[in-house]
Amino acid sequence: MKNEKTFEEKLKELETIVSNLESGDVPLDLAINKFNDAMNLAKECSEELEQANETVNKLLTKDGNFEDFKGDVNA
Amino acid sequence: MNDKYLTVTQINKYIKYKFDNDVNLKIVYLKGEISNFKDHTTGHLYFTLKDEKSRILAVMFKNNAIKLNFTPTNGSKVLVVGRISAYEANGNYQIYVEEMLEDGIGNLYLEFEKLKKKLQQEGYFDQAHKKPIPKFPKKIGIITAPTGAAIRDIITTINRRYKLVELYIFPALVQGENAKNDIVEKLNIANNYDLDVIILGRGGGSIEDLWAFNEEIVANAIYNSRIPIISAVGHEIDYTISDFVADLRAPTPTAAAEIAVPNIIDLLNYIKQIEIRNSKAILRVINKNEEKLESIKNSYILKNPNNLYEAKYQKLDNLIDKLGFCITSILADKNNRFLNCLNKLETLNPINTIKRGYSISKVNDKVITDIKDIKKDDVLKTEIKSGTITSKVIEVEVSK
Repeated sequence: MKNEKTFEEKLKELETIVSNLESGDVPLDLAINKFNDAMNLAKECSEELEQANETVNKLLTKDGNFEDFKGDVNA
Repeated sequence: MNDKYLTVTQINKYIKYKFDNDVNLKIVYLKGEISNFKDHTTGHLYFTLKDEKSRILAVMFKNNAIKLNFTPTNGSKVLVVGRISAYEANGNYQIYVEEMLEDGIGNLYLEFEKLKKKLQQEGYFDQAHKKPIPKFPKKIGIITAPTGAAIRDIITTINRRYKLVELYIFPALVQGENAKNDIVEKLNIANNYDLDVIILGRGGGSIEDLWAFNEEIVANAIYNSRIPIISAVGHEIDYTISDFVADLRAPTPTAAAEIAVPNIIDLLNYIKQIEIRNSKAILRVINKNEEKLESIKNSYILKNPNNLYEAKYQKLDNLIDKLGFCITSILADKNNRFLNCLNKLETLNPINTIKRGYSISKVNDKVITDIKDIKKDDVLKTEIKSGTITSKVIEVEVSK
């Protein structure tokens, strides 16, 4: 991950930037910066989705801790 | 002689032999109502099964009785499976019960309806109480049996759709007498973690199998959960109290997983769309700026810069005209006043007075206007129309 933001936060930021740009009130130089930001965010979001491995699965044990769950998931 | 006579023991043994050799009595399915129920300290259960017209003794030994998922009482309608044999010591026959279930589909249905109505009236199903299911959960709790189709379906479905989550599995009994307590306990434990959503459920089964999800304490635990809950019990046709109380009902565990997480393909498409919107938006901003520039370049003033001065020229001309007019009128005014003065001067000129026959007398070039200006022996110069007379004053007489 390139920064601390979650996928959801990045997606939200992306939506906000593009909505602002669409409103058409952004000065040209700022608009071009924002356009580039949005393109980078979109790329990061897509990569994050595509590169994610399997989910992390944890099972609550009797002693109240979590251990890796190795259920018959692929059975 | 006495040989003809059997002992009681002998006949009872024979009768028992007959029972035990009858294949029809080796496994018997029986339904009836419990009466004379005795729960012996040894753990064995003794009772009578009856219907409207008839009754039969029944015994259920401890090893089978401990498997019961309900507490039988007098009046319970039950379904039993067992064999029928004779008890030699008492000379009676009875059913040796191996399994016993509440004959309760009808009863259970009534119970379900009763609880549903009650909870509905108490507001347990109110839409206003339902918590929203987050769109992008990071941590999902799963309360179900740790083995079986349900957990497998949930995990594989989530992995197929969206992998950016951690799954926390809280293994729970999902059927049997202890299931309700275990589910409540796991719901409470799960609420201690910062989960975004909980999937609570199990795979399909009979109404009895699903019954834990129709228990009031489970309904309470769901209602009081801090974390939103998706209920997914059984198949699509199965509705449980849990489904009504939960923040969202999913028809199956797989469907619950589909609801809990977004689909990666939808998301990627959505991001693509945003990219397209982004490109269109920046093009629009650029076009707008170009148009603005163009319209400034085409503005009337920039196209006809002369207009900037023409109006000023005209104004300047007006001012010059005005100035000329002002000066002319001032000069004319001055001229008039000069002529007036000349006239006045003409009128007042003493020469003219002399011309009319008057004279002016001076002493030492000073005009005499008063008798005090002159004394005896002064030389007096008198100007008249055609010359000047010089004379000497003989006498000065002041008028009275």
